[in-house]
Amino acid sequence: MTTTTVTGTRRRSWSAGQIVLTALGAAVSAVLLAPLLWALFTSLKSETESVEVPTHWLPEKWTGQAWSGIFETGNIIDWFVNSLVVSVCVTAVVLLVSSLAGYGFARTEFRGKGLLMGIVMAGLMISPAVLGVPLFTTVQQMGMVDTYWGMILPQCAPAAMVYILYKFFQGVPRELEEAAFIDGAGRWRVFFTIILPLSRPSLAAVGIFTFISSWNNFLWPYMVTNNPDLMTMPNGIATVMNSYGIQWSQLMAGGLLAGLPLIVVFVFFQRQIVAGVAHTGLAGQ
Amino acid sequence: MGQGMGRPGLNRRQLLAGLGGLTVAGSFGFAALGTGADALASGADTRVRYWNLFSGGDGYNMIAMLDSFRADNPGIEVKDSTLQWGSPFYTKLAMAAAGNRAPELGVMHLGRVTGFAPGRLLDPWDLDLLAKYGVREQDFNPALWKRAVIDGKLYALPLDIHVQLCFYRKDVLGKAGLLGADGRMVAPTSVDEWFAMLKEARAATEKGLQTIGLWHNDMNFQWWFFVAFYTQLGGTWFSADNTEVTFDTDKATQVLEFLRRHLTDGYADPGFGGNAGAEQFVNGSPFCWEGNWSVPVFDSAKVDYGAVPLPPVFGRPATHAESHSFVLPHQAGRGGATDEGAHRLAAYVVQHARQWAAGGHIPAYTPTLTTAAYRKLQPQNEYATAMDHQATEPKVWFAGSTGILAQRVGPVVVSSTTGSARPDAVARRMKSTLATLLAMKNPMDGRTAAEGGALA
Amino acid sequence: MTTTSAETVVRRPARARAAAAGAAVRRKQGLQHGGWFVAPFLLLFALFVIWPLLRGVWLSFTDANISGDGARFVGLANYREALDDPLMWDALGHSAFFTLLVVPCIAVLAFLLAMLAHHIERGTWLWRLCFFLPFLLPSTVAGNLWQWLFNPGNGMVNHVFGLDTPWLTDKSYAMLAVVICTLWWTVGFSFLLYLAALQGIPAHLYEAARLDGANAWHRMVHITLPMLRNITGLVIALQILASLQVFDQAVVMMDFTTGPEDSTRTFVQYTLEQGFTSYRVGYASAISIIFFVLIAAVALGRMWLLRNREEGGR
Repeated sequence: MTTTTVTGTRRRSWSAGQIVLTALGAAVSAVLLAPLLWALFTSLKSETESVEVPTHWLPEKWTGQAWSGIFETGNIIDWFVNSLVVSVCVTAVVLLVSSLAGYGFARTEFRGKGLLMGIVMAGLMISPAVLGVPLFTTVQQMGMVDTYWGMILPQCAPAAMVYILYKFFQGVPRELEEAAFIDGAGRWRVFFTIILPLSRPSLAAVGIFTFISSWNNFLWPYMVTNNPDLMTMPNGIATVMNSYGIQWSQLMAGGLLAGLPLIVVFVFFQRQIVAGVAHTGLAGQ
Repeated sequence: MGQGMGRPGLNRRQLLAGLGGLTVAGSFGFAALGTGADALASGADTRVRYWNLFSGGDGYNMIAMLDSFRADNPGIEVKDSTLQWGSPFYTKLAMAAAGNRAPELGVMHLGRVTGFAPGRLLDPWDLDLLAKYGVREQDFNPALWKRAVIDGKLYALPLDIHVQLCFYRKDVLGKAGLLGADGRMVAPTSVDEWFAMLKEARAATEKGLQTIGLWHNDMNFQWWFFVAFYTQLGGTWFSADNTEVTFDTDKATQVLEFLRRHLTDGYADPGFGGNAGAEQFVNGSPFCWEGNWSVPVFDSAKVDYGAVPLPPVFGRPATHAESHSFVLPHQAGRGGATDEGAHRLAAYVVQHARQWAAGGHIPAYTPTLTTAAYRKLQPQNEYATAMDHQATEPKVWFAGSTGILAQRVGPVVVSSTTGSARPDAVARRMKSTLATLLAMKNPMDGRTAAEGGALA
Repeated sequence: MTTTSAETVVRRPARARAAAAGAAVRRKQGLQHGGWFVAPFLLLFALFVIWPLLRGVWLSFTDANISGDGARFVGLANYREALDDPLMWDALGHSAFFTLLVVPCIAVLAFLLAMLAHHIERGTWLWRLCFFLPFLLPSTVAGNLWQWLFNPGNGMVNHVFGLDTPWLTDKSYAMLAVVICTLWWTVGFSFLLYLAALQGIPAHLYEAARLDGANAWHRMVHITLPMLRNITGLVIALQILASLQVFDQAVVMMDFTTGPEDSTRTFVQYTLEQGFTSYRVGYASAISIIFFVLIAAVALGRMWLLRNREEGGR
């Protein structure tokens, strides 16, 4: 392909190939972003204008009605707060328990380790989509239906994250730990003062991914919350907001609001996320 | 971030870490409180949570009634939540009740109450409390009240009945000479008369418009229409003790052929199923069969129209009716101020259903029906008689709006109306489906419809 | 890959010093505390993964209902019913059909997008952002958005392409609409995986090939594609597992119904219908277990393939 230009000239010139590729990239981006723009424009129309036939891209009369509407009626702010609470708690717990477990499996010895590791790996195949009904009855028995904990805790045992960190810890040079042991440090101190700081990129990747999937999680919160006060953004938008007869402008505004935090996160932490995906991918190979 | 920024970067990192720590701590604290922001902000003494399924115009009217209740009862805070109509609503309500997190008050279709495990997922109403707030048995149609009583206890307080109607355009029918002296549609008394009317109406209809819209590809509407006409023919479903299927395939075939004929004779255009039927009606199509909830839609579209119960083409008048009713979802510790608040709220709305009637529904609280204000409502006064000619699904655990029966049989009816299956074959399939359902055990108590005899 | 290079840097000198003492210390410390490191995770894992699985197996042999009491043992009745249940097979068929359409499309599209982004020299971050952005939306938002785009009266899709297609109301298009929404929404994730893999291919391979006179096409066929084989395997495996579990966007696009003539009822949706709409928790558990076995078979099949290939490669 165009590798010639990459190594040939370090200063970037607009070769013919590059112009074609850039144009292609722009065209693809336009196609991928068009639905989002459409959502944005719809949210800036009045409800009557948004359903007009034939339809048109730009609002004839720009209005923030839909945006002020979602804040005035309904409980979108509750949902936003709920999403934040759930995602932050899930991310914190997952980071803590899966880094401990990843390290435990990678670098310590205990009886039954191989068997336990195998069982955890089997857990990769289990999700609320596969075993939702029994999971619900379990949580129901614990009295956690319609509670934050009912939403949070079942999301806190992701075998995949343990596996990623396990792979990472396996690659950490043993010499670093051993030097510390000789200085008299205990296992826990080594973990918290030497290993954790070293694994910041991996933890960032795991953390960001956990946050994204928790923020966007629909199925489990949908199953375990019925009280609209406790719903998260994806759940509330899908099951409550739709019910006022569909008001498309408001629905699009709500949807964009639900997507916004992650888009901001992505713009700021793009490098870590991309590195994280690379990491996940390479671990998964 | 932060990398290669030297000392100032460190400070910023500390700030970020501090903020992050606060967020995490705050989130855990919030989760530990566990009630959600809205409940935290509420300062009222008595908070009644009320779940309903009313969208669009119904939702608007319900909120108006709640607002007037709030104005009259400042000590009670009503927290109303509207959830998506159909099976998701029942799923949510059942799961909340099963998880012991149910709201104080809910709305259900009356037909679903039998299958909703009265006593397990629903709590019975306290008749004395209701009477205290002004609602008594004699204020309701006896048949309707009876449907709400299970094992001798009242499990549902009917708010309305809503019926399937034949909407007609007075301008078109006038041109076709189909209006009586009172300016209302003359009711046909046979299938032939009905199709003769359609023929004349078609002659008076503008080009490009169908003669009648009847949701030919909608599983819910087709099932409701079937129930109506099958009841007109005197058809039955099950024996009195629910041990045998008494479904009459000949009568069913008659009804299915009747529904199908609207398409084969070209009165209903296959391209205008669903909502398009109502749009066509607004544009000048003479008939459409719709639920009474379309009244406000046609009112606001300024159509010159009337509405009668589905035509009694098989002789005896009957139209499909369901009822929105208030229920008390099961709460382990039901009682006290919130429970009283729920009784008070339900009783209030039932008695102040005039605005509800404007939305097209027929108030279940009969004193409302005889008020001058209600009698003045057009076209409500044309179809209020439907209260006495209700065609309902059988009272078994698997029936009711969007229930298992409707979900299984609805698509089968559609396949006949749209022509992808023959009416007689469909009638037989319906019968075998009914037999399967009758033999099926209610998952809530492990009993078949027959064994749950006390319920019926 | 990065870890390999880190190891080469630090490796030898430190090791020589610590080798003797280190081994002993490590064994002692590890034996003491190893279990405690994994305990918190295992507790959560046992409560919310293992226990529900065992519970699901038990419930599948009962006629349990949603209220959680009064379950009776019914033996294999649920499984027998499931095998004869046309609705379950239909639902499974729909999920499988969806998977069949989505997986190859995702793999090809993600690869092409990654090649594009990899080879444009300017503004890499911008392309990454544009191609990945849809994935950041919640599934339900993606579903609502495409429901709006496919809206029969004034949907943008029909408007832009001058079509009159009943996307959401005709059984021959409904699932296709769900597929299109899914492609748009999820292609970004696989794209990032491919992009990372592309960036991980050592440049010297290409230079060596160029010295040998290989043209761009040859370099792609003989270097790029073979180097991407593992990541392709991963993308396909992850996509199969995710696609079989499709639920969110389908129900949202169809307003929580099963679509025209039940054509978008997916397997997950059917288990929830049985469990939560019909309250048949026992039966729902049985079909969930069947589903679990199916998913496990796919995952184990991939592991088996990988192992075979590794052995073949040696």
